[in-house]
Amino acid sequence: MIYKNFLNFILCTVLLSCNVEKNDEINIYSQRHYQVDKKQYENFEKKTGIKINVIKAGADELLERLYNEGENSPADLFVTVDAGKLQKGVEKGLFQKIKNKIIESNIIADLKDVNSYWVPVTYRARLIVYSNERVLSHELSTYEDLANPKWKGKILVRSSSNAYNQALMASMYANIGEEATKKWSKGIVNNLARDPKGNDRDQVKAIASGQGDLAIVNSYYIGMLLSSEKESEVLAGKSISVFFPNQAKEDRGTHVNISGFALTKNAPNRENAIKLLEYLTDVEAQNTYVNNSFEYPVNPKVKPSKIVSSWGEFKFDKLDLNLLGSLRADAIKIFDYTGWK
Amino acid sequence: MLLKYLITQGGNNFTLKKEFRKKVVALVLFGGFFLPIGFLILKSFFYGTDSLNYILENLLFEYSINTLKLILITCIFSIIFGVFPAWYVSNYKFFGRSIIDLLLLLPLAVPTYIMAFSYSEILSFTGPFKITVDLIQPEILGILLSFSLFPYIYSASRISFSLLGERYQEISKNLGINKTKYFFTVVIPLSKPALFSGLFLVIMEVLNEYGAVKYFGVNTYTIGIFRAWNSMNDTGAAIQLSSILLFIVSFLFFLEKSFNKNKRFSSAKNSSVNKLMKTKILKKILIYIFCLTPIIFAFIIPVVFNLVNLIDDFQSIEFLNLFRLTINSISVSLFTSIFVVLISILFLYGERQSKSRLYYYINEFISLGYSIPGAVVALSIIIFFTSIDSNLAKISILGGFLVYLFMLIYAYIIRFMAVGKTTLKAGFDKLPNSYDNTAKVLGLSDFNFFKKVLFPLNKLPLLSALILVFIDIMKELPITLILRPFNFDTLATQTFEFAVDEMIPKSAIYSLSIILICSLLLVLFKKLLDRLHVSGD
Repeated sequence: MIYKNFLNFILCTVLLSCNVEKNDEINIYSQRHYQVDKKQYENFEKKTGIKINVIKAGADELLERLYNEGENSPADLFVTVDAGKLQKGVEKGLFQKIKNKIIESNIIADLKDVNSYWVPVTYRARLIVYSNERVLSHELSTYEDLANPKWKGKILVRSSSNAYNQALMASMYANIGEEATKKWSKGIVNNLARDPKGNDRDQVKAIASGQGDLAIVNSYYIGMLLSSEKESEVLAGKSISVFFPNQAKEDRGTHVNISGFALTKNAPNRENAIKLLEYLTDVEAQNTYVNNSFEYPVNPKVKPSKIVSSWGEFKFDKLDLNLLGSLRADAIKIFDYTGWK
Repeated sequence: MLLKYLITQGGNNFTLKKEFRKKVVALVLFGGFFLPIGFLILKSFFYGTDSLNYILENLLFEYSINTLKLILITCIFSIIFGVFPAWYVSNYKFFGRSIIDLLLLLPLAVPTYIMAFSYSEILSFTGPFKITVDLIQPEILGILLSFSLFPYIYSASRISFSLLGERYQEISKNLGINKTKYFFTVVIPLSKPALFSGLFLVIMEVLNEYGAVKYFGVNTYTIGIFRAWNSMNDTGAAIQLSSILLFIVSFLFFLEKSFNKNKRFSSAKNSSVNKLMKTKILKKILIYIFCLTPIIFAFIIPVVFNLVNLIDDFQSIEFLNLFRLTINSISVSLFTSIFVVLISILFLYGERQSKSRLYYYINEFISLGYSIPGAVVALSIIIFFTSIDSNLAKISILGGFLVYLFMLIYAYIIRFMAVGKTTLKAGFDKLPNSYDNTAKVLGLSDFNFFKKVLFPLNKLPLLSALILVFIDIMKELPITLILRPFNFDTLATQTFEFAVDEMIPKSAIYSLSIILICSLLLVLFKKLLDRLHVSGD
């Protein structure tokens, strides 16, 4: 009896779930799980009547799911917070090119994918923050300078398992080459105030509590700290200042990474998905991003939020962001080789 | 081939036929549950080994040392928080004993990620104590993990201690052995199996931990698996590393089994239950320190911290969303835990009925699913199902809500079978074999024996198993994240999303809902446990 019921259950489940054709929807696999995304999708639904379905999980897990589902995958779009992961998907042959004039005209040229496989919707800078009490801004200059022994025991950063650090290391590798990157990484490790750990906010808190003087963090976390409802967090945010490295005239600029969408190879709702990307890169949605998640807009017509604008404008590194993915494994080896935990 | 062998073996007479049928059922069931993982292990031989070699050569030593260190710290503190209170509660009379007995189980309602996130905030500079020292240390992580995990050891040793009975104590007294010596030379060795089963769960959980170890910057073996998968873009190497872990754990597990094979302590033979002793004030203070420390740190502090956050952020709670997520969490947990219990019954009942060792080994092996990181279990399910799909001439079974729900539940079953089975086994083992023989003489069929004898006599263990599995699924994260259908959020995934975004206050209502539901169930579980094993004051 029990076996029979069990078999019946399996059969029913399989039969019931055979795909029923549905229109007017978009299926998204999302690494992003911010509140602002929910808002954006709701706004889009209201405007167009197209329903958005989302699954949120880690980027690599979702790519794996997409890869194994193959052409049967229900997903139309994949969204992540690291160009490296998009490149990984491209390499696995999971995406199709997006050629759309509206989207193209919405985005700053230097942030576009040279191969048109993905569309950025926001970007963020991996910048240096420093203690207002113990560091003067003119003492700072470049990422490279953080390896200078004058910063011994002063630098804070999270672990090498973090994708943002991996992307930064890949960008160093692409810009200054393997040997110089190794030397740089070794220098950072020698200058660490403590073992790499915690998240980006923790690095700022550690400066506020006097455990170190400098930290490498993503820009939007500072915005979130400064706009926190908790007074102690705002105070921690106010105890530091933001510095954009590598800004000299001949220098490459600060390392940035994007949040971006890719269209899956067999997207069942291709047209709808493109409509969403048009919407997300347009002025209205870009303003929603900027004011809720403190990221930088990819649309040149939109200005960053008030807090973020107060740090001033900066020049960003125009490196092909696909390199952040293709050089990832080399970056990992440098972390391991130089003992960056 | 195997089937042919079984058929030729099975044809001779009626009993053999029956035995054969049971073997087939066992193999089919085992196959069903082991196939995805077996498939993964098999596949691991076909992947390239560059990344694997790289990790083995450069990182394995460091990662293994870190893992062992973390396991050691967590186990030591779990034993301190679990064994001593269990001993005092089982043997001494003191004010608040029964409520303490209950409260010592409740930290099981706090998932490790909530424990880690709460404490990382409490111990930070922006926390209530404005701590300026760096407390994100591996040792602290070990202690935090033990906060969440010590109840496994507490409940196992609590049952074992209260079943020891008075006879041992009287004999020891007559032999002039003092209490401390009695505890270490008689009680602990006799309770070894119970302690080991508790420690096994603790170790598996530590091996599985990913979020908290990453946050604390402790590079464990699991970090290595994810480094291969996420950072070196080599899924094959991640699978290979998981397979290696599974083999190491299996080896150690069976080694322990064979070492302790003859040392199992049967409680049924010594049925008189402990009388509680009165004690002096100084000892009472010691008892309170030992019992209240884990309760305060592992339950009260995280709950109060989240309550304060909840009050601060009360106006932004979306009650409709909360309701929806609670329904999702409860329904998927309930549905799956019923399945886990049903399947556990089949396995255990098969083992009981069959004379073959096959069932025994199958049962033991299935428990090891617990050692594989949840994300890898989920991956194996995806790979397995999708390869069936493409091989079945593209019958598009994928993509449906129900198919993913089915895969999700399937993965939970693989992962949590150990929890259900261990709890049930304790109940089944208590029934003497003479029941089976009498039933056979009376001509009861297997199914009727189960329906008329085993089930009524095991209602309480069944319900206990149901509750424990339910709680584990309610707290589960990696499998749920990867395998859930579209728009399917649970209390755990929502808590995690807020916490990862570094918005701990917003996660409070969801954390507390998990803790509340699991706590209520644990209260019920405790009541069942008391009726099952422990007679109180």
